[in-house]
Amino acid sequence: MNEKKRILVVDDEINVCKSIRQAILREDCEVDMALSGEEALKKDAQKAYDLVITDLMMPGISGLDLLRELKARRPEVDIIMITGYPTIRTAVESIKLGAFDYLPKPFTPAQLRNLVHRVLKKRQQVQDQPVKQKPKDIPPGLFYMIGHTWLKVESETKGRVGIMADFFQSIGRLVSLDLPEVGQIVQQGEPCAMLVDDMNFSYRIWSPASGRVTGVNMSLKENLDVLPKDPYEEGWLFTLELSSLEEDLEGLVQSK
Amino acid sequence: MFRSTLYQKFMNLPLRAKFLLSFFLVIFFGGLLILTIGTRIEHKTIFSLAQAKVRHDLAAAWMVYNERLNDIRDIVLFNSNRDSLQKALLNNQRQVLLSYLNRVREQFKLDILTLTDAQGKVICRPTQPEKRGDDKSSDPFIQRSLQGQVVVGTDVLSREDLLLESPELAQQAFIRVVPTPKAAPQTEKVEERGLVLKASAPLIDNRGKIIGVLYGAVLLNNNFEIVDRVKEIVYKGEKYQGIDIGTATIFLYDLRVSTNVLEANGRRAIGTRVSREVRQAVLIEGQSWVDRAFVVRDWYITAYDPIRNIEGQIIGILYVGMLERPYIDLRNKVMMTFAGMAGLSAIILLIILFSITSSIIHPVKSLAEATKRIANGDLNHKVVIPYRDEIGELAQSFNQMTENLKKANQKLLQWGKTLEKRVEERTRELKEAQDSLIQSAKLASLGKMAAGVAHEINNPLTSILLNTHLLLESLEPDDPRRESLEMIAEETTRCASIVKGLLEFARQSPPKKRKTDINSLLLNTVQLLENQAAFQNIEIKKNLAPDLPPLELDSNKVKQVFWNMMINAAEAMPRGGTLAITTRLSTDKNDKKHVEIIFSDTGIGIPKENIPKLFDPFFTTKVSGTGLGLAVSYGIIKQHKGNIQVESQVGRGSTFIISLPVEKEDRRQGGSHE
Repeated sequence: MNEKKRILVVDDEINVCKSIRQAILREDCEVDMALSGEEALKKDAQKAYDLVITDLMMPGISGLDLLRELKARRPEVDIIMITGYPTIRTAVESIKLGAFDYLPKPFTPAQLRNLVHRVLKKRQQVQDQPVKQKPKDIPPGLFYMIGHTWLKVESETKGRVGIMADFFQSIGRLVSLDLPEVGQIVQQGEPCAMLVDDMNFSYRIWSPASGRVTGVNMSLKENLDVLPKDPYEEGWLFTLELSSLEEDLEGLVQSK
Repeated sequence: MFRSTLYQKFMNLPLRAKFLLSFFLVIFFGGLLILTIGTRIEHKTIFSLAQAKVRHDLAAAWMVYNERLNDIRDIVLFNSNRDSLQKALLNNQRQVLLSYLNRVREQFKLDILTLTDAQGKVICRPTQPEKRGDDKSSDPFIQRSLQGQVVVGTDVLSREDLLLESPELAQQAFIRVVPTPKAAPQTEKVEERGLVLKASAPLIDNRGKIIGVLYGAVLLNNNFEIVDRVKEIVYKGEKYQGIDIGTATIFLYDLRVSTNVLEANGRRAIGTRVSREVRQAVLIEGQSWVDRAFVVRDWYITAYDPIRNIEGQIIGILYVGMLERPYIDLRNKVMMTFAGMAGLSAIILLIILFSITSSIIHPVKSLAEATKRIANGDLNHKVVIPYRDEIGELAQSFNQMTENLKKANQKLLQWGKTLEKRVEERTRELKEAQDSLIQSAKLASLGKMAAGVAHEINNPLTSILLNTHLLLESLEPDDPRRESLEMIAEETTRCASIVKGLLEFARQSPPKKRKTDINSLLLNTVQLLENQAAFQNIEIKKNLAPDLPPLELDSNKVKQVFWNMMINAAEAMPRGGTLAITTRLSTDKNDKKHVEIIFSDTGIGIPKENIPKLFDPFFTTKVSGTGLGLAVSYGIIKQHKGNIQVESQVGRGSTFIISLPVEKEDRRQGGSHE
């Protein structure tokens, strides 16, 4: 880990850029700033960044365009979307386009650092074990939000929800899990569960679909380790009574 | 003008006075007319009767008069035929003649009984035997008798004649003339002539030769035999108030020579004269006179006939008269009785009339009274008239009218009230609609604004929050400035949550509707919340109507509304209480069906002035909270074409009524989502 990680902060407001830079500035990081999407693309061309933190709404090239462009150029780049006008639609869209995460403004340095840490950790692991398969064993037929959660459609109205295996690559050892209660209404693109790792970082888990919770995996409470070990079978989180499957599927990627 | 004011005055009189006056006038004038006509008729009847009677009496008087005349004739005739008298005459036996004639005269009460020879010269005059030889041949009586006739009649003898016959007779005949009112002017002061009843008959010898004439007479002057006899026979001496009813008089020309009419001093009214009228009619025109006349000192109903001598000349008057006073008094008495009866009748009539008018006027008065009372607004007043006449009918109609008036009034009042109520209702509805419109407008504009503002505000908030935290990190744990920075961080977070709420509110995506059972959706929410700490001391009472029709709605959004309602209720009851949740099917006035979901708490309540602001975004009474919960709820319900109403009383609790329409057309489309 001799090479410094390169981070680019993109926001049309200089103060926001500066503040974010200050918050995530670490010894092992190089943090650059860009005040527009155009500038960001230019800078990325010169210096391939590990992580791009970009605002969603900007004059000219928007955050989503930037995301699309960067992912097209270099699929390995990690991008965190930040926005002052969070919507489920843009959140889902962002995740679908391959954003690492989606963070509504305003946020604390801790929240941002947490994400940055996860990105960097994931990248480190990937670097360390380049041979190790990526989301190698995603079972076919699953619908998922990249790097986040999956939905298994069991019937037209019933679904099962779990966390993608690669999510666990970016966090430490799990110490606790908050699950929704039975009967609770959850919505696609909104947090439905919360994880805390051994570094006391908490992680919001995005729900891949909308509906009413009909059951939760109580066995997880006793054995959290099942979750990263068998994320697609034993490590399911909860079952859902789906309320708008057709619509939800548009925001999800289907595994083959 | 005068008449009209009089008429006006009459019309202004009270009804009773009008009635009485009219009737009184009718009675008065009618009575007067009847009385007048009656008097006339009575007068005429009585007087014609009286006149007939007096005419009859006159005839009777004539009978007495003529009887006496015939009497004299008979005496004269009888004695003229006596042989002894003829012999004595033929033999010129004067002494025999004298004594014979004197005896006859005295026997038959003749004033004169004189014998003439065949030439008319007086041979024997027993009343004055030494007077003889005077020639009576110019006397019409003697003339006729000398030609063989027996003559009888009334005659006037001059003073000389009387003196010839007898100085006593002349004296008896002497009458002093008394000036009499109403009589014709007269210059003579005395009357010396005498009125006599006279008869003469020839003395005829065996050979039929007239040898002399015997004549006899009775002087009527101061001789009351005939008049008293008339009074006696005709009037039977009847008196009225000391006065003889019947009177009889014999006039020599117009002078009373024999009468039983008395003067005031009780003396016979000898020497008084007949009234000028009678004199004209009887003496001059020779007619009979029957009428009332003033005789000496009283009014009499009288009859006069002329007395003629044998040559047909009028020489006097025979008169009978009935005192008028008894008739007058009778008439007056009848009139008085008549008038009295009429008066009594009038009084009785008036009394009857009074009571009748009372019976008419009393109801009319009570009607008038009732009208006044009704005019003053007392519609409960009733006219009680127990009769069935026109006024009774009027009263009935009047009561009916009052009743109708009352009903109409009540209707009007009621109508006014309902109108007021309706106006109130409409005003409220209008206000609600307006409020709702304002609310919708507010929400719409807010939504647009929020989207813009949120983004703009979140950027500076990001800088503030990040830098605050960075500063905090740079401070020592015991640095006193930490507190300020923590406060900034906290408040910034709060700002962020407000903006977040605002964004949630603004992000009103179209609802995804599908058929939902409202009761199970509600139960679901209750299940989620009832175990939470806020609901520890709250009793939830559910009163859910079964068989509610399924509604087309976005269950997630509506659930959020229920959630907000319940959270609000819990926050209104920090020390516990009851939350009653009711569902029911209701039908509004446009006959549209709604499902109502009612959340009723026993919390602190909402002040009246706050109710209109309740659904305004950012309106909150809570220290924590964004004030968007109810605004969002409102927006969601509006998206479902429903409504939220609030009823609240401070200290008693609040009730939120959510009504959602049961849309039929949506059902047909099936559960398609938008």
